[in-house]
Amino acid sequence: MPQQAEAATLGIWVFLATEVLFFSGMLLAYAVLRKAYPAGFAEASRETKIVIGTINTAVLLTSSATMAWAVHAAEAGHRRLLAWLLAATAALGLVFLALKGVEYSQEYDEHLVPGLNFSSASPHEHAIELFYFLYFGLTGIHALHLTIGIVVVAVVAVRAWRAAFAPAYYTPVEITGLYWHFVDLVWIFLYPLIYLNGRSGG
Amino acid sequence: MSKALRHLALAWLGLVLLLVLTLGLSYLPLGSANIVVALTIAMAKGVIVVLIFMKLAHSPPLTWIFAGAGLFWLALLFGLSFTDYATRAGFPPQP
Repeated sequence: MPQQAEAATLGIWVFLATEVLFFSGMLLAYAVLRKAYPAGFAEASRETKIVIGTINTAVLLTSSATMAWAVHAAEAGHRRLLAWLLAATAALGLVFLALKGVEYSQEYDEHLVPGLNFSSASPHEHAIELFYFLYFGLTGIHALHLTIGIVVVAVVAVRAWRAAFAPAYYTPVEITGLYWHFVDLVWIFLYPLIYLNGRSGG
Repeated sequence: MSKALRHLALAWLGLVLLLVLTLGLSYLPLGSANIVVALTIAMAKGVIVVLIFMKLAHSPPLTWIFAGAGLFWLALLFGLSFTDYATRAGFPPQP
């Protein structure tokens, strides 16, 4: 049994290593384009919604803490606490998505969506459009991962409530947690690249 | 509160403090050092998440190798790409 749990954990780490590369393509594009058009990227970053972005970072960090606490509760065999902590984690994920939706709608109103309504009067117009193309690509893929995470965490929460787990077996809680932390990890790096870049100038 | 729970609480507190720190520092005019500071703090947050929340600190060596493989391919992707982009004359091309 410990060997089975270890194999499952190792499997999700392999998956997460491939996920790193899934995001890396766009991160590399960001790095290259930021180097090519520093002024345009700084100007584009300054137009992002820093208040929502910062609150959302705090929300996601907190959701990772409740998730880690949930794994701890599973180890200790606290069934109700486990179910409630998983529910709290999923709820924080929903808060993140709701705020992200508000942000997207503001950006739509400000004509910042490439392919739909992008327009800018800045001399760096093209670099700003490239930035927002990557912004919607990266945050959209991240939001998709988070949505999948919320569904999985919710399913695991229901199973936990129905006493599917015990201190001897809680592998689904553990590997769901690893996936959730990975999604948080991606956001930890997106936050400075999207929101903090260029704040000190201009 | 058990020791493990105390560690989780401290990790969360550390993450939130680092978030406040990186937000504040991003408004200081440090020139090209701004992005270095921001990414260093992001890496510190990442280490906390990976070691404590993802329990890598208490995982067997094989898990370390698998986690390290992800970083290794990432380093290859960026390293080899920037041997070109960081050294190419006339990048970006001027119209």
